[in-house]
Amino acid sequence: MPSHILELSSVTKSFGGLKAVYDISFKMNSDDIIGLIGPNGAGKSTLIKLISGILEPDSGEIKFKNQKINGLKTWDIVNLGISFTFQNMRPFRRLPIIANVMTSCMSPRAMKRGEWVKRIEAKAMDFLEFAGISDMALEKASTLSQGDLKRLEVARAIATEPELILLDEPFGGLSPAETELMAKSIKRLHKGGRFGRLHSEGPAMIIVEHKLQQLMKMADRIIVLNYGETVTECAPKELVNNKEVIECYLGKGAL
Amino acid sequence: MIFNIIISSLINGSTYALLAIGFSLVFGVARIVNIAHTAFFMVASYCIFLCTNILGLNPFAAMMVTIILTVLLGLIIFKIIIDPLREHEAAVLIATVALAMSFQETMLLFFGGVFQSLPYLVTGNMEIAGIRVAYQQLLIIAMAPLVLAAVWIFLKKTRMGLAIRATSQDREVANLMGMNEKGIAMMTMAVSVALAAFTGAVVVPLSVVHPHMWLHPLVMTMAAVVLGGMGSVKGSFIGAYILGFAEALVVFLIPMGAFLKGSVALSIMVFVLLLRPDGLFGVTFEEER
Repeated sequence: MPSHILELSSVTKSFGGLKAVYDISFKMNSDDIIGLIGPNGAGKSTLIKLISGILEPDSGEIKFKNQKINGLKTWDIVNLGISFTFQNMRPFRRLPIIANVMTSCMSPRAMKRGEWVKRIEAKAMDFLEFAGISDMALEKASTLSQGDLKRLEVARAIATEPELILLDEPFGGLSPAETELMAKSIKRLHKGGRFGRLHSEGPAMIIVEHKLQQLMKMADRIIVLNYGETVTECAPKELVNNKEVIECYLGKGAL
Repeated sequence: MIFNIIISSLINGSTYALLAIGFSLVFGVARIVNIAHTAFFMVASYCIFLCTNILGLNPFAAMMVTIILTVLLGLIIFKIIIDPLREHEAAVLIATVALAMSFQETMLLFFGGVFQSLPYLVTGNMEIAGIRVAYQQLLIIAMAPLVLAAVWIFLKKTRMGLAIRATSQDREVANLMGMNEKGIAMMTMAVSVALAAFTGAVVVPLSVVHPHMWLHPLVMTMAAVVLGGMGSVKGSFIGAYILGFAEALVVFLIPMGAFLKGSVALSIMVFVLLLRPDGLFGVTFEEER
């Protein structure tokens, strides 16, 4: 029985009078993929920003591997083993693609003692190969297409050798073919990569996504949020017949 | 006359460039507008004065001791004053103005307003195109491009340099890549202050040490940085030489030009900014997108 890697207890975050996330609690195992869905403004992105440490909860507790992480600095959380990808990609635009990944390889968690630039470069190249953009390694990140930028985000996130990855809309803005490719990469990553701590087993994942069809193929569980609160937590196949979920997407009286 | 102008503009330009590289680096990486940057240069000059004229150290040993002490001072100031205020840029600006003033008044208290001089690092001179040029002047001219090259190699070829470049583009993302952005900002501050101290050791033997000596270089350094484009080390370097050249032209070609050199050089900066508001090599930071 895998242990709980992440545990949220009554996490709440408000912006002024608006409760962006209210009383959210869930647990996940180290081999889980959790899908986080809900209409726009439901609090999905806020929730993963709370887990990654970009935002701090007003109340409640977030535990990663039994250690309380709310209040820790973002880089400390990354170095504990949580990484994050942005919904709107934010590469270091003026750096070459490989240098973008090298920065993640240099995080204290991923970097081994005495590693020099050349070794880090080789590791970064491995991650780019995994993401399928190694042929563009020396180009500036500003030249990448939307799909390739998403791949770069994933390469950067896995280069910190995480045990939990938070993916904010990994399929957003991608064509059907690109979506399929990205989904394959994510599944492959979850099964277990070839890198460092990812060698034996892949990281747990929380995926925020609007493309439900794709998400339902990948996730073990889906958590539905609306107005910052949990509407339901269920297996993907239970989702399609869930009245509350249909109501929160289509409005009351839709059924 | 033309060689006088060239030598003079190279010396002015190199001085401003040495200061502007450090100022620009710390702004580019940590978004800290460190008004006290040239005050560190003044404090370093007094430290060298103390080491050489009072403790009797040789100029090179004095330079090394000064760089270490100034960096320590810079790191303490960063930790207790700048870092807690960093998210409020206006507060950092005012705090560093206050810091510069307090450095100035402390030096006035201990050393008085008397002009002091520093020994040359290299003595002797040579004649170039009919003009007698001191080796110390040549040292300044050589040091600015050498320091720029060293900074370039540091930024492009080392792990820390890559971390600094990444942080300078997007601090939030750098944090999410597991980089301790605060540590990187502190490291950059140390490099910047070390450059200010080094500039003191190289440049000040040609002028005098006094508690107000930080003000004119500060104005010119900031002008060079704005002219070159905030956050661009290369831009600041080129901006420094443009202003140095403008100053020398005014001094040599306009009657009573020595009184006008600052205002004419700064007018050039304003004129360039009217045409290119981001400066010559302006950088857009990711959080401003």
